[in-house]
Parts: sequence; C-alpha cells; structure tokens
Amino acid sequence: MSTPVLQVEGLTKMFGGLTAVDNLHFTLPGGGLHAIIGPNGAGKTTFFNLISGFLRANSGSVIFNGEDIIGRKTHEISRLGISRTLQIKSVFTGLSVYDNVWIAAMGRSRFLNPFKSAASYTDVAANVETILEDMGLSDFTKELAGNLSYGDVALLEIAIALATQPKLLLLDEPVSGMSPNETKHTVDIIRGLSKRLDVILIEHDMEVVFGAADMITVMNQGAIICQGSPEAVSNDPSVQEAYLGTPGEEDEEELRA
Amino acid sequence: MRTIQNLKPLQFLGLICVLFFLTAPFTIPLVANDFWVSIVTEIMIWGLFAASVNLLFGYTGLLSFGQAVYFGMGAYGVALTIDIFGFSFWPAALVGIAVATVTAFITGIFAARLTWHYFAIITVVFSLIFFFFAVGWKDVTGGDDGLPFTMPPLFKAGGFELSLLDLTFQYYFILAVVAGCFVLMHMILKSPLGFAFIAVRENASRAGLVGYNPYMIRLVSFVFAGFFAGVAGVLFALFSRYASAHFLFWTVSGEGIIWMIVGGAGTLFGPVLGAAFLTIVREELSLYWEHYLLVVGVIVILFVTYAPQGIMGLLKSWLDRTFENKHTANSAIDGSAVDRKGDHK
Repeated sequence: MSTPVLQVEGLTKMFGGLTAVDNLHFTLPGGGLHAIIGPNGAGKTTFFNLISGFLRANSGSVIFNGEDIIGRKTHEISRLGISRTLQIKSVFTGLSVYDNVWIAAMGRSRFLNPFKSAASYTDVAANVETILEDMGLSDFTKELAGNLSYGDVALLEIAIALATQPKLLLLDEPVSGMSPNETKHTVDIIRGLSKRLDVILIEHDMEVVFGAADMITVMNQGAIICQGSPEAVSNDPSVQEAYLGTPGEEDEEELRA
Repeated sequence: MRTIQNLKPLQFLGLICVLFFLTAPFTIPLVANDFWVSIVTEIMIWGLFAASVNLLFGYTGLLSFGQAVYFGMGAYGVALTIDIFGFSFWPAALVGIAVATVTAFITGIFAARLTWHYFAIITVVFSLIFFFFAVGWKDVTGGDDGLPFTMPPLFKAGGFELSLLDLTFQYYFILAVVAGCFVLMHMILKSPLGFAFIAVRENASRAGLVGYNPYMIRLVSFVFAGFFAGVAGVLFALFSRYASAHFLFWTVSGEGIIWMIVGGAGTLFGPVLGAAFLTIVREELSLYWEHYLLVVGVIVILFVTYAPQGIMGLLKSWLDRTFENKHTANSAIDGSAVDRKGDHK
C-alpha cells in the first residue's frame, strides 16, 4: 500500500476545559471525495483549522505526503499543497474577481519581483482564465468580489483555493446558503475536482454528502465514531445515535430527508 | 498609440499637472511671488512623505504614526555626515537614505508583527523614543535648535559648480528625485509585490491561506515606506539646510496621515494633492490667523466624514459624472486603474 496523503495521529485540541478534537486518528488514503459529517460542535471545523495551521494542536501529529505539518504556519502549509475554504466565506472583498484569483495564483511564488509588471505574467493570466471558466465565473471577472451573490462568493473561494494548485483541497460547507440549482452546479464541480485531486468536504447537507462522497467520516464530540462508504455509514447504529440521540438537534431533520 | 484625444479626463488633468511641475520655476514668477516656487518644492517633498504613509495605510492597511522617524533619520543622516564628517553631497545623501531604510528594517521587525491599533501604538512609541533621543543628545543633534550645515556642491569640475544654492536647479533636482520615487512606487504597486500588499490589506488570513507570508509582506512594505520617507527627509534637510529633532516628532507623521487622508488614501498621487491643498491653506491662512490649524482640523473632519476617498475620490466621481463614464470595477492587473477603496461600500 502506498503512503496515505494525510495521516493524522492522536490529534488533540483543547479550548480551556473543552476538548474540541479528542485524540483523533484519521487516514486519507487518497483518491476521491471524502466527506466529514457530524452534529454541530463535533469538531469538524476545528479539525480543518488544525490541519491548515489556523490553530495549534495540543498534541498529535499530522503527516501530509510524508511531512509533519503540525506547528507550521498557514502559508507554509499552503505552499506544501493544502488549500482550504472557510465556513464563513473569505475572499478579497474589495478586489475584482479576476484579481482575487490572480493573487492566489501568485501566492506560491518564492520571489515577488517588485520591478516586473503584474500584467506581464501571461502564463498566470492564462491559468486564471481557465480556472474562472471552469468555475463558471467568466462573466464576473471584472466585478468586485464584494458585489457577488453568496453562491458566487463560495464559487470564487473555491477558485481561489484551486489557483494555488493544491494537492489536497479542504472545503468547509461550500454549498451552505446556496439555492438548489447553485448547489447542484457546485456539487458537480466538486465531483469533477475530486477526480484530479484529493478533496475533503465538511457538509451538513446530507443529500449532497450521500450523493457525492466516496467515503464518509462521522465525527461527534471531537472523535471519529464511524468511517466508511455512504451505505455503511447510513446503516451504522452509532451514527443514528449521534444524530438522533439528542432530541432537538437541528441535523435530525436532515438525516431523515 | 496613445494620443491626447484618447486620454481619459483624469489623465488629461495629470498631464496638466506634469506640465505645471515641469515649468513652475518660470511660470510661477509670472503670476505670483517668487517664494511660491519654494512652496511648490516643499509640496513635492511632503507629497513624497505622505505617499510613504499611503504605501503602508492605503495599500498594506497599516496606519503608521511613525513615518517621521525615517524622515528624521534621513535628514540627520545628511546633516550629520556633512557637518561632522565633512562628507560631500552624494555620499551624505546616500547615507541618509541608507540610515532611514535600515532603521525601518530594524523597527519593522517588531512593528510588522502587529496590525491595526497595536501597530499604530508601537509606531507612536518608536517615534517618541527616537524623538527624545534626538532632543536629549543635544551635543550631536542640536536638539530643539536643530543642526544647520553648509551645503556642499553637487558637482564640481574646474570652475563649473552645480549646487542646490541655485534655487532653480534645486527645484529641478528635487522634482527629478521625487518623480523617480513615484515611478518606482508605481512599478512596485503594479507588480506582484504590490498585489501582495493589497491582498494583505484586504484579508490577511486569506492571503496566508494562498501562500503569502503576511508578516514578510508587511515588513517589506514597511521597509519600502521607510525608504521613501527617508528620501523625503534627505530632500527636506537639503532644502532647508538643517535637521532638527522635531523632524522626528510624531506630529510630523500625523501631518503625513492628514495629507494622505485629505488627498485620497490608496491612490498614487492623492497624497501629493493633499499635501498641496493643505500647504496652500497653511500659507494663505497663517498670514491672517495664527489659529489656522482649527480650519485644517475642520477640513479633515469634513473629509473623513463626507469624502473618505479624499480629493482624488471627489475628482474621480466628478469627472465620471461630467463625462458620463460607465463605472465598472476593472481589473487592476489588466492595466486599467480601479478605485481600490470605497466603491464596494
């Protein structure tokens, strides 16, 4: 068996007395679309924050393609090939859509030449055009990112993440707040992406998760309670307990849907 | 091909400004007192200084109250090397710029770790440290009284001598240096580095997520800003033939901020407009009323409240309305200018 893309061992993160991620072991063998689900507060986003360097783990290790990335800075992790989107969409609001993606495409450069015009990087420009085309944002290239609809901002954020040419893409609730049409469009795009790079998706929309993911990990209270194919996960009693066991949980409805 | 016919209105105004600056030593005496030539010279220097504040605030999102430190270091670099070591013109000027840039690098190592009010506070603290140091070390710096020096010639061959004591030559020398700095600043802002500055200003955590090191980007911006402030300080010392501890005081930085805000933060030439406008206000009003700064205060309040884009923003929106330009947010990378701030509010 080849080395896994992502190997997480004993990862723990505590906020004061609260253990958000509790001695987590996780292996991403690589290939396909991997979804992480779980009730609110299960530690999914904290897990992403630990991988991407937003938070420092209390203990444990995260090996990405053979390199331990725990303790590395956000930009260093990005340069190794992990790119992510945020639950609260994060783009360069005051800049045009084109400039957003262009800046991301230049983010990996070792040297930012202060004497060379940005317009002269034709290969970067071509790359940006392609990404915008793929994401269906070509009509908005000159629009300010802050003027886009919520769904388009989410697509732009994925475009930004892709422009860094990642090996692993972490998507945090990319379709939340989207219309059914936008959701379908985005899920198709994510499906397509997962054929050429590794994608981990956090999502609350169960229809999306069970329809698109190749592999599902269920988290609850900072730990993984179940992992497997969509069929296996949906039949697992511990999953049903996690979702249905606590009455009043909002995800209850979603699981039945 | 670019011809005058297809210049945009703003570019046309720019062309008029260029012509004005190129001919000022000859045209001003035709219509006004000669001393306005030296006011215009002063405006160019302060415009460059305000532009250094703008590089940090308008483009990188860091509000510095400490640019006077690098301005003052530049000025003292020139004054001390000429007065004490008897340096000639060019080595003294280069030492001034180098001292300012190195100081910016050393202080930047600490300041660039911070943002927003913490950054503003640490720059004020740096300013006070350097100011009290300069005031206290009176033997060397001249303290409050300042340190005057004798202007060495800029070029000397046989009987021929070029010196800033020739006021017309001084004007063109300062114009050339300031123009050179603006060309350099324009190049930087249109380069990948300039876009990295803007990325960090807009959203530092996103910039980090796509691979930029926000700390490094801030530090580089800080050093460049220190360099430009240092050049302004060198020019001002040469222009006024002395350096004073007061050049280092934080109120000088404050003036730079005010010029930038009134002129238009985040635009290349806005700070020059602000410096020009408020210097002219000072020159005209201070003749009649010693408390003219009250008027300046009111002007600043009005601009911050009603025209946060400054004079440049007012000018652009007025031209757009007058010439009915369709307003789209063009990509800045394509080469067409875009209003960086405010359009999206």
